[in-house]
Order: sequence, then structure tokens, then C-alpha cells
Amino acid sequence: MKKLFLFTLTVLLTVSLSAQLKIDMTLLKNPPATLTEWANHPELLNLIISARPGAPVQKFVIKVGFQTTDGTVIGTNDLTRSVVYTTSSTGAPTILHALEVVQMEIMVFNGKYRTSLQKTGKLPSDTYMLCVQLVRPVDFSNLAEPLCKVFYMSSIQLPILVKPYNEEILDTKAAQTAITFRWTPVIPRLMEPVTYRLQIFEVYNEQNAFIALRNNQPILDQQITSMTQFVWQPHMLFDLSSDTAGLSTQLKLRLEKGKMFIWVIQSLDVNGNPVTQSDGNGLAFSEPEVFFIRTGKR
Amino acid sequence: MRIKFTGLLLFSYLFFQQTSTAQDLKEKFTPSVSGVIGFSYESYGLSRSPTGWIGYSPRKPWNQLRFNISPTIKFSPNFSLPMNMNFSALPIAIPGAFAGIKSPSFGQFISNPLNNFGMNPKYKWAELQLGTQYLKYSDLSTGDIGIFGAGVDLRPKNWRIKFFTGISQQGVNYSLGPPSLTGSFQRQNWMAQLGNEKEGKYLVAINFAKGRDAVTSSSPAPLTLKPQEGFVMSLQSNLYLQNGMYIKFEGARSVFTKDLTKPLDSSYKSFKPFIDAHTSTVADYATQASIGRKSKNFDIGVGLKFLGAGFQTTGYPYQQSDRIEYTLNTRFNAWKNKDKTYKMNVVASLGQRVNNVSNTALKATQFIGNLNWFTQFDDHWSLNLSYNNFGFESASGINPYGIKNVSNDIGFNPTYTWSNSKMNNLLSLSYNFSKYNERDVLTGLTSSNNTHTALLTYVPTFFTRDLSPDFSVLYFYNDVPGAKISLTTISSGLGFPAAKKKIRLRGQLQYTIGKLNSFSSNNNLIASCNVDVKLNKKLTWTNFMTTSYYKYGNEILPNGANYLESTFRTGFQYRFEPKIKK
Repeated sequence: MKKLFLFTLTVLLTVSLSAQLKIDMTLLKNPPATLTEWANHPELLNLIISARPGAPVQKFVIKVGFQTTDGTVIGTNDLTRSVVYTTSSTGAPTILHALEVVQMEIMVFNGKYRTSLQKTGKLPSDTYMLCVQLVRPVDFSNLAEPLCKVFYMSSIQLPILVKPYNEEILDTKAAQTAITFRWTPVIPRLMEPVTYRLQIFEVYNEQNAFIALRNNQPILDQQITSMTQFVWQPHMLFDLSSDTAGLSTQLKLRLEKGKMFIWVIQSLDVNGNPVTQSDGNGLAFSEPEVFFIRTGKR
Repeated sequence: MRIKFTGLLLFSYLFFQQTSTAQDLKEKFTPSVSGVIGFSYESYGLSRSPTGWIGYSPRKPWNQLRFNISPTIKFSPNFSLPMNMNFSALPIAIPGAFAGIKSPSFGQFISNPLNNFGMNPKYKWAELQLGTQYLKYSDLSTGDIGIFGAGVDLRPKNWRIKFFTGISQQGVNYSLGPPSLTGSFQRQNWMAQLGNEKEGKYLVAINFAKGRDAVTSSSPAPLTLKPQEGFVMSLQSNLYLQNGMYIKFEGARSVFTKDLTKPLDSSYKSFKPFIDAHTSTVADYATQASIGRKSKNFDIGVGLKFLGAGFQTTGYPYQQSDRIEYTLNTRFNAWKNKDKTYKMNVVASLGQRVNNVSNTALKATQFIGNLNWFTQFDDHWSLNLSYNNFGFESASGINPYGIKNVSNDIGFNPTYTWSNSKMNNLLSLSYNFSKYNERDVLTGLTSSNNTHTALLTYVPTFFTRDLSPDFSVLYFYNDVPGAKISLTTISSGLGFPAAKKKIRLRGQLQYTIGKLNSFSSNNNLIASCNVDVKLNKKLTWTNFMTTSYYKYGNEILPNGANYLESTFRTGFQYRFEPKIKK
């Protein structure tokens, strides 16, 4: 019994001395799929490092590893290039974020994960673990027990515009009463409801559709939460007269189809921010589509 | 930049001056001007009641004055100078990502994408491109942006040599507002093409396009946008055979930095000297190909498009990558008349699109099918049938069910025409049924959204009078879980000339009564009028007035809310017409 007590005491002392620092970590369960984007979200990852009361100031570097759920390591950081941190002399905990913890310039991934990152900036859609460990700067010996957090990574797919179909020519009379707009939802389904901002722009005769999209005032700017359809009642009669004199042949051909409009969906989170800022245009605008309102009689 | 631009202008003037003078000595050519010059002013008004209610927002600038100057000056048979200037003379404070410069400098004014100031002096095969240009080099390199800058388009024999550089967006500071501004970084673009083309025979070209944001061009910088840099190179080849066959192919490679503030990283593939890789750099491929045959009465073609997940270009900023799609398109005429024309015309397409080729997202597939079938049975009857299907399905991910949305639209449009010695009559019915099913990813239950639209139109055409009236009745009904919307619209229009056909008048009147669930009805009355006056052979005065009164039912508070919205637009247009030698 006495031997067992002494053995337990020895083990506890060893663990206590080797783990001079204690770490805790919070990580979003569904972080942005683009890894470089993590640095722009302080709320995404918090690594809290606490030293025992009265412990001397300690220098440390962070060993970071990405693992699959079966424990296979797919990426680690180059410890020789890691930033050296120091614990607070006052004993206050040190809090680090994704910017300091996952430094992409010193991360080294292997195999298909490296290929995927170089092509897309993302890891394949799957469940992963992020493991961090504090080690000494010189010999990289252990300073604290490793800690792993599980997260699910899937790139956000923005809505695809469904109706009106691209380049659909709508009947003037019907369009002046109601036009139905439909789009697909954001994938994967987010924890909080998505607000879809539907914008419709009139394209002036001499304009390119994308210039109208980027510069004109929208004739409809409507936010729709969770739903993927909106019935727009324009409450207006469109001026469909069009003098094509002086316009290029390309524009004349366009005007034969009718008055052009361009519409787009922007997907916003509960705070009104774009649901993804790392893909495409960075503002979570879907690929816009155009439709025409027929001019003249058929 | 300004010095370079002025220098280029001077060079082009001297170059074309010399060449045109030499040409004019050979042939006695009279310089001519064609095209149009004009302006339009639009005033917008909105009056809401009760006072203080802001439930309906203005949707146009209060005042707009736009100029359109598009003359083409022809100095000699080989030298022409087309100009295109469309610009807004009143400052417009639009809360958008790329606008919002309240007091622009001259440079900002002329380079604002809202305004176009472009000229393209052309001598034989050489064209100088100055000012705002919308240039499309190819489907995968660049094409969706307007750029203010300078460049050339040279076509000696079958060669195609193009280069252009300029600014596609200005630096706009972020502002919390009001009005809030997202802000933007100034983006400089460069593009080049080297190719060989024989029109209607073949095209082989290699395209380069690059865009780079100036990191320090806005302060404070946009919160949600990062400065970017992109480079794309593509090889394009088209082949047209004598029997109407065509084969088109384009392959492209892009290197794109999503955030220029991230550190440089040698472990990523750069494309020096065009672009240096950062940790946020991605590089991927894209390709598109099509093959088909076109003829007078039968077209068929198949197309394939693949965009890798990391394929991104500054020339197509809204393009969604990570997808592969293939389509089959056809058009044919059938059922011959006695005069060898055809009674039937069918246009159809079938396609599938698969998102997430890279496996970095949930797999999603779309099916798209469209059919338009028109038949002119005889002199009286015609029928147009249309069918559109859009199916979308994604993997479930961490949810119990995946997304599955299916949209089906069926249209039925018979038309009957009859006439006598005084008039022709057209009666047309258009009915459209639209069904949209959506599956809930948590419960797996599918909800249906049904829309019925029926429109009956009558259009008489008088042989002996200049009146052009039309009458129509429309019924719209949309039924989704929790909301039923019905709308009934009656409308009529009348057009006629006056003052010996120098004035053309057209008026429209439309009344709509709408109902949402069991709330009281809402009412909308709209009137519009066009008055076009031909002042002389070259000068036209156009006017458009519209006003809409809308009164809500009790579905919104305060009860009785209403608004009156009006637009008035007036403009003059002068048409240059070159004198024709007799």
C-alpha cells in the first residue's frame, strides 16, 4: 500500500513538473473552408495558456497538427520557423487566436491535402482535428499536454439562380404584375438562418449588364430570410420604347430581345456580413443572371 | 498616368493625321459624321403616407442627367474615329461597393465605370483603344469588366495582336455611413492577345489577363474585401468547317491571390514574372469545348465546361468555379407548308451541372431541361408550348437529408387571329403553371409551391385608322405554405400619331387588386405616357411619364399606408447622317 502511494505521488509530481503550462482551446465547429481566411476571424479560435501560480516566465512555441479523425497527421507547422512566445510575468493567461496559432506560411501539408490546398486553398470536405501542443523553443520538448478539437470543414456553395432563367424573355403584361424569383439555398445549411438579398438592376441601353450591376441603383433591393423565393410586384410600367439609332450591332441585337435587367443574390449571415468572404468576389454574390422584358407586340 | 495618356493621344493624332492626309491626296474623299448625340433628364418622385412611414424605399436617384454622344467621324475611306461617351452629369450617391465618391476629381469622374468616355481611332487594320472599353478576349480569360485605359487592337492580315491596360475600379474608402459604403481597392488591369484568325474559318489565340489591387488605395480599407491579384493564361482555338460543323476549345490556367496582405510563400507555385505566390494563392485549370453543326433548318451541338475549384480571374469577378457542366442544344424546323416554309419550330436544351468537383464542399447536381415548341397550324391558329425543368440536389453532409429542389414550369399559349376588310384581330391566351418543390434537410418533408398565371390579351389592328389599342386581363395565384397571394390585373394601352405623324403618343393604364391570405386587398393604379416628337429629320424629342399609386391592405402597419411614385424623363436626340453622293 505504501509502495502504491509513493508510486502515485511520483507520477503526479512528474506530470505536474513536465506540464508546467496548461492550455485550453475553443474552435468553431464549422470554420471557413479557406484556411488563410482563419486569420481574419479572431472569434474562430482561442488558445488560452495559463501558467501555475508563481511559476517562472516560460518561453514556448506552438506545435500545430491537422489530423483526420483516425489520427493520421496531414499537416504540421515548421517548428524552426515558429514564433517564440513568453508567458506573462504577472501570471495572467496568454490568449492567442488563429492568426498566431495557424500560421499558414509555416504550415506543411502532405499528399492530396497539399495538392488540394495549392489548388483551392481548402482541405477536402471532411471532419478533422486540430491539435496544439506547447513545446520548448530549443529542443521542442513537451511543456504542456497536447489538446485536440474536432471540426467539420465544408466549403460554402452560394445560391444558384433558378428563375427567371438566364436570358429568359418575359411577357410585358405578366411582368408588370408579378415576376417570381427563385434560387437554391446556401449549402451546407448553416446553424443560423441566412438572409438572401435580392437585387434587380435595370441595364441602360448603352450599358453592359455587369457595369449596371456594379454601378446603378437597384430598382429592387429586398432582404428575404431563409426563404428561396420572392414574388416581386414591380408596381411600375416599364418604358419599353427604345431608339436603337447610334447603337452598335451587338446592342441592337440585345434590344430586339427586350429591355434588359440583371439580378443577383447576396447571402448574408445573421450579422449582415457575407456568408463567405474568401470565394469569388468576396461579398458572397452569386453568379448573376439577366432577363428581358419583351418590347413591342409579338 | 495622365502624362502617358496625353502622350498616347498626341501620338495617335499625329499618326492618323499623317496617314489620313496621304490617303486624302490619292482620293478626293469628303469627311463625314454619323451617329447620335443627345441627353436625357429623369426626375423621380416618391410621396409616402402617413407622414413618417418609411416602409417603401425610393428606388431611383431623385435626378439623373445622362449624356449620350456617339459620333463616328470618317476622315478617309481607311481612317475613322468612333467615339462613345455616355455619362451622368449629376453626382449620384449610390450605396454600392464601387460607387459613393461624392465629389469626384476630373480623373475619378471620367474613369468611373458608371461613365463611358471612349474613342477608337481606326486606320486600316490598326485600332487604338482609348478611354472606357468593354473588351472580351475569351470566355475564360477576360470579358465582364469595363476598364478605363489605353490599348491597341492590331489585325495585320490574319494576325490578331491586342493589348490593353487600365483601371476597372477605383479605391473607395470604407464608411459606416450613412450611407454605408463597403469600399473597394483600386484595380489595375492588363490584358493581351496574340492570335491568327480567318473569319468564318478558324481562330487560334493565346490570351493573357492580369488584375491587381492597390493595397493602399483606400483608407480605411474595406472590412469584408481583401486586396487581390489574379493572372490567367488561355489557349483558344475555333474551327469552322464548310458543312456548318464547328469545333471550339479553350483551356486556361489561373493563379489567383485571394489576399495580398498575406505573406509571400515560395512553397506555392508562382508564375513569374507575372505573379508571385502568397500563402493565399490558389492555382487551377479550366476548359470549355463545344462541337456541333448549324444549318438553315437544323442545329445541334454539345458543350462542356469545367472550372476547377481554384480557378478564378479578375476578368470574370462573379464566375462561380468548382463545377463541370455539359449541355445538348438543338433547334429544328418541321412540317412544311406549300410555300416550303415550315409550320413548326422546336428549340430544346438538356444539361447537367455538377458542383464540387474538388470535393471541398458537398456534392450538388443540377439538371436543366428547356423546350419551346411553336406551331402555326393555319392562318388563324398558332400554339406555343414551353417546358422548363430545373432540378437541384446536394449531399446531406451533417444533416439527415440533402437539399432537393425541383422546379417545373409548363406554358401553354394558343393564339387566334382573324380579320376583315377593316381590321385584324388577335386574341391570345397564355397560361403558365409553375411547381417548385423543396425538401427540408432536417425533417425530409417536401413543401410545394405552386404558381398559376393566366393572361388573356386582345389586340385589334385597324387598316384605315392609326389607332393601336390593346386590352388584357391577368390572374396570378401563388400558394406556398403559410402564404397565398392572388393578383388580378386589367390593363389597356393606346397608341396613335398626331400632327401629321410628327408626334407619336402612347398611353397605358393598369389596375391591380391583390390579396395576401385573409388580409384586406391592396390596390395599385398605374398610368404611363410616351410622347415622341420628331422636330425635324434629325432631331427627336422623347418624353416618358409614369405614375403609380399603391395602397396596402391591412397586412402591414400602419393601416392604410400608401405611396405615390412618379418618374418623368425627357430627352433630345440628334442623329448625324452622312451626305450620300449622287
